[in-house]
Amino acid sequence: MNTLGSALPSPVAARRTRRAWPRPMLLALTLVLTVIAAAQFGAVPIAAADWLNGPWSEAPKSGGAHVLWQLRLPRLGLTLAVGAALGLSGALSQALFRNPMAEPGLLGVTSGAAAAVALTLTVFAGLHTALPAEMRLWLLPLVGFAGAVAVCFALDRLSRWLAPGSIAALLLCGLALQAMTFAIVGLCSFIASDEQLRAINFWTLGSLAGANWTMAAVMSGALLALGTIALRVAPRLNALALGEAAAAHVGIDVERLRWQCIAMVALLSALAVAWCGSIGFIGLMAPHLARQLVGADQRLVLPNAMLAGALLLVVADTLARTLAVPAEIPVGVFSALIGAPWFLVLLRGAVRRMGSA
Amino acid sequence: MTALLTLQDVRVALGATAIGPLSLRVDAGERIAILGPSGAGKSTLLRLIARELRPGGGSLHFAGQPLASWSPAELARRRAVLPQQHGVAFGLPVELVVALGRVARQGDGRQDAIVREALMHAQAEHLHGRRFDTLSGGEQARVQLARVLAQAWDSRDGLLLVDEPVAALDPGLSVSLMAAMSAFAQARGHTLIAVLHDLNLAMNHFDRLWLMKAGRLLADCDALPATLPLLEQLYDTRLRMLKDEHGLAILPMLGAMEART
Repeated sequence: MNTLGSALPSPVAARRTRRAWPRPMLLALTLVLTVIAAAQFGAVPIAAADWLNGPWSEAPKSGGAHVLWQLRLPRLGLTLAVGAALGLSGALSQALFRNPMAEPGLLGVTSGAAAAVALTLTVFAGLHTALPAEMRLWLLPLVGFAGAVAVCFALDRLSRWLAPGSIAALLLCGLALQAMTFAIVGLCSFIASDEQLRAINFWTLGSLAGANWTMAAVMSGALLALGTIALRVAPRLNALALGEAAAAHVGIDVERLRWQCIAMVALLSALAVAWCGSIGFIGLMAPHLARQLVGADQRLVLPNAMLAGALLLVVADTLARTLAVPAEIPVGVFSALIGAPWFLVLLRGAVRRMGSA
Repeated sequence: MTALLTLQDVRVALGATAIGPLSLRVDAGERIAILGPSGAGKSTLLRLIARELRPGGGSLHFAGQPLASWSPAELARRRAVLPQQHGVAFGLPVELVVALGRVARQGDGRQDAIVREALMHAQAEHLHGRRFDTLSGGEQARVQLARVLAQAWDSRDGLLLVDEPVAALDPGLSVSLMAAMSAFAQARGHTLIAVLHDLNLAMNHFDRLWLMKAGRLLADCDALPATLPLLEQLYDTRLRMLKDEHGLAILPMLGAMEART
């Protein structure tokens, strides 16, 4: 595939004895079954015939076919892509910060994007300019990207300046930045109108209810492109695990790699946040699951973190939209309810291994 | 013959330690040990040569080109570095850590063989398949050494920079690994520059000594018995030398502190 990748022993050959391949297969199979089940669940029952009655079909549309093809499947498509994006951005930020506790949500990157989006909405409202729906669709991810990059950059500099390599310093920096971005969101909701307030609330909790085929397609395309790039840099990310100095010694352009990662993490977070709000902890849980399944080699962790992220978000979103039918619970509530205890368990493990954080 | 490495009036300040100005010239194939008390700037000098630190003044040239002008990948093909501290994040498997020494190379299908041979050279072949973060300090040191050997495996006239390579090892292992490293370097024409604390390893496996004290070069001399007075001055202690057919041994004089006061 690429010159750097070919220089390492193939992950398959190295791990053949440990049956590294059946596990990703199992994960993928679970994901497919979960998606089919998730499409069946909901207020409106879906018949087998509805699956064949897609947009291409001339047959008269039943209610079930409409719900399946216009609501549930685009939503599932977006959910899969966003879940995979969150998993990938989590895995990339963990590799970048050499730290299994890193996650764009915990580090404030996601809320940085949310703050930028909230600020934009409020400013436009202040100018009494209605933002056309088309522009809104594209402007918000762009603005979110700028916010996410700003937080990534600040985090990178601050944590290195305070205490390089320390988990505590990194998480506390993230906390401080998150508090700052929350303050911005708070300020925006303070001056916002009722309608804007609802929109801003949506970002802080996260929801996939606004999904359509366009969003699903764009998100999948972006994910495909960024996933390809991520897999190409995976061998170099392994070298980063040696430490920045040693990575440079074995011939990695560390500064360039850092920026590639930061750009990818920011872009993935911004896309997810702009359309679905901030959904926490998927980026923490997915790479951890992936490492449990296939070991620490980034060439295996990255694709499996994408699969695991997609699976986790599909489950969370299905719960979110079916538990309180016809009302809908924000999906961020579920991911946080599962994710926060998970984080504590991980932290306990990390602290035990290192003696202290 | 052009020098492999030249330092011209190189200075660097790093927190409390400032070193230089230093001017040194290294020819291909030399074996140099950097000696000195703790905090003398030995590791700082090594990190300067490794391009880990930028000099605050002066110039460094490697193989005729300014050191700063080398691309990371090209430099990695000519010089390998074993740092003093070597934690690895995320529990990578041992064979992957060793293979990372060759991450910047074009694949040639011999990777797995080189990884195994490098592990064997570093007396760590039994660790193949283990997770790096489950190894003891001495085992980790050997795996990291194997990574450096793998990096320099098929190049010629390169440079190996090692910082305390055998500090965490027991005596028998440290002697045999030092010998293996030395033979590895000689077989490939690599220059070896090592920061050491063990005077006996320095005297028996190296040709040249850089004696550093308080950021300056006290002496640049051959590793011969005649350097004993310089070593005493370096460490501010009285030393004695024993010699037999196997080599030299330098020991501190008992009661040295009283003798000097």
